[in-house]
Amino acid sequence: MNVGVDVGPTNTDAAVLDETGAVRATVKVASVPGDPVAGVVAALGALAAAPAPVAPPGTFAALATPGTAATSIDRISIGLRGAARAVAERDRLCRVAVLRIGGPAAQAVRPLYGWPADLLETVRAGTAIVDGGGGLSPEDWIPLDRDAVARFAARVAGRAEAVAITGVFAPVDGAQEREAAEIVRAELGPLPVSLSADLGTLGLIERENTTVLDAALSRFARDTAERLAAALAGAAVFVTRGDGTLMSLEYLARHPGLSLGSGPASALRGAGVLAGLDDAVVADVGAARVRVGALAGGFPEEATRGADVGGVPVGFRFPELIRVARDADPGELAEAVDRLQPGADRLPLVVVGGGAPDVPDAFFGVPDVRRPEHGRAAGAIGAATSPVGGQSERIVRLDDRTRLPAELEAVAEEARANAVRAGADPRHTRAVEAGSSPLPYLPGSFIKLRARAAGPPSRL
Amino acid sequence: MDIDTEVLPAYARGCAVLGSGGGGPVSITRAAARQALEAHGPVRVVQPSDLDPDALVMPCGNVGTSHVAVERIGGVAEASYLRDAVEKLHGSPVAALMPSEIGGANGCAAVAWAACLGLPLVDADGMGRAFPRMDQTVMELRGISPTPAVLCDERGRTVVIDHVDGRWLERLVRASLEAFGGQAASSEYALRARQVPGATVVGSVTRAVELGRRLPDPLISGKVAAVEQGTTLVEGLGGDAGRLVRLEAHNEYLAALEDGELLAAVPDVIAVLDARSGETVQTDQVRYGMRVHVVPLPCDPVWHTPEGLRLAGPEAFGLTGLPVRTREAGR
Repeated sequence: MNVGVDVGPTNTDAAVLDETGAVRATVKVASVPGDPVAGVVAALGALAAAPAPVAPPGTFAALATPGTAATSIDRISIGLRGAARAVAERDRLCRVAVLRIGGPAAQAVRPLYGWPADLLETVRAGTAIVDGGGGLSPEDWIPLDRDAVARFAARVAGRAEAVAITGVFAPVDGAQEREAAEIVRAELGPLPVSLSADLGTLGLIERENTTVLDAALSRFARDTAERLAAALAGAAVFVTRGDGTLMSLEYLARHPGLSLGSGPASALRGAGVLAGLDDAVVADVGAARVRVGALAGGFPEEATRGADVGGVPVGFRFPELIRVARDADPGELAEAVDRLQPGADRLPLVVVGGGAPDVPDAFFGVPDVRRPEHGRAAGAIGAATSPVGGQSERIVRLDDRTRLPAELEAVAEEARANAVRAGADPRHTRAVEAGSSPLPYLPGSFIKLRARAAGPPSRL
Repeated sequence: MDIDTEVLPAYARGCAVLGSGGGGPVSITRAAARQALEAHGPVRVVQPSDLDPDALVMPCGNVGTSHVAVERIGGVAEASYLRDAVEKLHGSPVAALMPSEIGGANGCAAVAWAACLGLPLVDADGMGRAFPRMDQTVMELRGISPTPAVLCDERGRTVVIDHVDGRWLERLVRASLEAFGGQAASSEYALRARQVPGATVVGSVTRAVELGRRLPDPLISGKVAAVEQGTTLVEGLGGDAGRLVRLEAHNEYLAALEDGELLAAVPDVIAVLDARSGETVQTDQVRYGMRVHVVPLPCDPVWHTPEGLRLAGPEAFGLTGLPVRTREAGR
């Protein structure tokens, strides 16, 4: 048995699936504001009381009691949606020391420039720009100013609760960020340290914002992971992430920002699973608004520009979404559905979510509308059925094209290793996607390589 | 006029529109300009006649690619090195800056640098829009020498290029860019204030602000119905229902056609705006389903002279066999 839980702002959905993937029961309970873990426990309790005999009596109730082992539940996968709210409400955010490596090449826009004032006040423990950083070629690199890093660490000691390190061109080579992290840890002890090379691609400002938010969410993520582990002791617990895959609680605690965008991502995946489609446009009809997104190859289409968390432009991997108010003109909804198509009427539309029955087919403006059974619990079903994922991205100079397969293989292997670190079963983890795209208008042949790997959640 | 933090958003939007879908995204240089204006105060925009006739005007901008520009965001240092080198080579102090290229990222870069250096900005630029080549300037058309030209980076590494014409400048700059890691600050076609009225696009800073405040009516408003290798189809919606406009692009939007007729073409500007957000859509950002306005804007008349068209007309961009323009853009 697999259980999926989706903690929404209003309601928490839960679903239980058997070994064949068939949905055996779904429930909906009211969410507990500000306490996603309580919502999860309530939903599991409601599942235990559900009319269909989905599990031995008392299984779910037992889960709510710390220290009790669950026998018939293989895993519980949870969509928390709490990280975005934590940022929006400035809840439990850490004070972050923001270190940028780049010297004179990185001065034009200072760290945290343009952040909303109250978020800035909550998060900033100090900023510095130190010399170092590089370029696309190895000879472009400037040595890291190690003394300046140590001075900065000393200056923020006692104030900083987490550290965010962003180096110019770190997505090409993350070594200086790791070097700086070592210096910071030597000064400050074992604080959470987020490195930009782990979190994003080229685009210094957005990647830095991403890294700072990741660091700021450290306490929230650790608290949540600890409370879930305690509340669901004995079960294998996974949480959803913004790219539509799962990760373990330990991984969440180390990479807090990865859960941003996870709510819409698991609804998209669940819609695809329920409709039996890998490629589709999905409309998730909630209480107040409709979120329209798209699936490509079974995973959410990612936003290519303009992602924003709490008023800050970021580079997290979010699903591309258009949000339309429920009471908006139907033309707006049809426009959103059309905009997410790769071409006119090419993909079917899957309509899911609690409010789906209230929106007639005609509003969507496309001929092929699917409304799968259990669609109102698509988020929970997406969580229950998703694999554990890992990604990797590299920018390499490749004047010799015959090296491409070897480079792609290396990136795919790194994605695989990341999936295993996130909790995938190493025996069954495979690269599901590996591709390259050229970076135009550069001296030399630079290409971006990207791979994605997935595997079943491991109980280990 | 001054450019201050109040005027900057309109100016930046105007620069983005004049990019004709290219010239690099303004987001970082706009933020850089805002930070510089907050730190150093407003930038005075002067007319050429406000300056001493012999005053040295320094055209400036970044050359390179946006993949590097989004990482190496630069700052103050490259502007000082550039100014110092130009002053030494021309033997007089720089009295004002001028954007080499008003369209796209460089329009805002010039404001950021002017603020940092405490210098005014001349109400003019070299192109009146964005072009991919450094020699596609009115200065080139008017016989102003591009050299001595300076390339430098934020650490003061400097290359001086001399005794070449525009074509060779382009060639030597592209070769140097590789050694600069893909990006450098540059100044070429330096000129004296008395030369500005006849050898630049005068009024382009003011024009950018005005365009940022109010754009002319679109050529067509509709939906992007297909995007294929440099060709974008826009299907009319609302009042434009039933119309189909084809856009040809390469780095910039180069031509707009409908029913075999040419509606607009380079060197005129063709801007594409997202109807939802009002933001400009760069040629590499356009995708199926976007609701857009296509807005043509006339370029400076000098570009429609035979020499202007030779340097920056459709054929300079490899567009041959375009139909002859039979109606005026902008309806």
